[in-house]
Amino acid sequence: MRDTVRNRSIKLSRPSPYRSLTVIVGLIVVAISLMWLDQGDHLDPVRHQAQMIVNPMLGGLRYVGTSISDGFWGIGNIGELQETIKEQEEYISYLETELIKSEQFEERIKQLEQQLGIVEGTGMQVAGASVIAYTPDAGRQILRLDAGKDDGVKPGMAVISEQGGSPRTLIGVVESVTPRDSTVLLITDYSSSISASVEHEGTRFYGAVQGQWQRGSRLQLEQIERNAHVVSGNRVVTAALTAEYDPDLPHASIPSGIAIGEIEEVRVDGRSRVAEIRPYLDPNQVRYAWIILSHDD
Amino acid sequence: MDYTQPRRLEERIARELGVALFLLGVALIQTALLPRPLGFAPNILLMLVLSQALIAGTANAARWAFYGGISLDLCAGTLLGSHSLLLLVAVLMGTLPFVRLRRDNWLLPLGSAVLGSVAYYTLFPIVMRVPDFLSNQELIQTHLLVVVLPGVLMILIPALPLFMFMRWIESRRRGEVPVDIY
Repeated sequence: MRDTVRNRSIKLSRPSPYRSLTVIVGLIVVAISLMWLDQGDHLDPVRHQAQMIVNPMLGGLRYVGTSISDGFWGIGNIGELQETIKEQEEYISYLETELIKSEQFEERIKQLEQQLGIVEGTGMQVAGASVIAYTPDAGRQILRLDAGKDDGVKPGMAVISEQGGSPRTLIGVVESVTPRDSTVLLITDYSSSISASVEHEGTRFYGAVQGQWQRGSRLQLEQIERNAHVVSGNRVVTAALTAEYDPDLPHASIPSGIAIGEIEEVRVDGRSRVAEIRPYLDPNQVRYAWIILSHDD
Repeated sequence: MDYTQPRRLEERIARELGVALFLLGVALIQTALLPRPLGFAPNILLMLVLSQALIAGTANAARWAFYGGISLDLCAGTLLGSHSLLLLVAVLMGTLPFVRLRRDNWLLPLGSAVLGSVAYYTLFPIVMRVPDFLSNQELIQTHLLVVVLPGVLMILIPALPLFMFMRWIESRRRGEVPVDIY
């Protein structure tokens, strides 16, 4: 294939294989050095400054993304909407501006009402936060919230959310914090393990909820006693066992009784039972969440 | 091939800054705007970097990988340098076997996409320090099936059109005129 008038075939540009290799190896060394420095928190000031610039942009883009996805849901009513638009064409531009404002207020009011409900109903102190970014790779299940150390957020705190008719559900645990934002490890990630309990006919059974996303599933309740009678449809909630055994561990701040999901299927695995769990909500679809700062447990 | 080399330092810095800002924009879109069907995000930075490596050379793409990786780390809150490392390895693995091939070979972007993305997703859990990954045989197998395979397919499908589009842009930038028009 020739693609120019000069009829010369174009080859891969190769200034010098040695130069390319030197550049790439040099940058790999720089990248590893950066990781090492960041691991030791030596880059925190730089990172915080950079994130102060990046976070508002992420928040803005999330809002745009949400508006676009909401727009797709409304496509079914497009015929009706078109008629209305024709009738009120001049008026609509003004209304649109007002509508956007009121929608934002409405959403904020709804979020605050939900937050108030959590505080009143459970005695928990929570901090509401919007999701500003999701994991850019399929290999890890994390998200970032726009609340951080300045809002009282610490690693190990539980993050809950609700969508539609779902109960307030645990979606993850704070993994790291900066002054203005926090990274949440979702419960569906393989490296997430949280103590949980299931109640069936008045008896409570304990186990550990293990993330299964990288294994092709979502959640699994493991280490349940072999003779435990748990069946499909049983509700799985947090057990807060870490708080009982060692209150100094980060996971000790996860309260008990927070919904996780429902048991879908139970099977015997060696000396214990293992149950597949269907979470009440998909953590990847969450737009707003609450971080539990303190609780009465 | 120094036709794109800026003559002055300021020009060079401005160009690097422009590339870094462009890649920050791509990283922002990838982390905040793109839809995530079944939890999979299309890794557009990886696609771009691999195509750039074939079109503009490994050294050029390595810079893209570095800036893009840092941008992704800032957006995703991961360790600074971790995504740069992954993208640089992907560039290295995705271009090294093909340096002797001609740019108009259609197999080039496909082979590069496969090798580069396999390297990226295979190394991912090690760089991100997923616990017990290397010691857990079952986890490695499921990671290959659940993360690596779909990830590679999502890179492979748009690889050829993206490569052709970027090559077209590069040809226009160089002032080359396609034969089929004139």
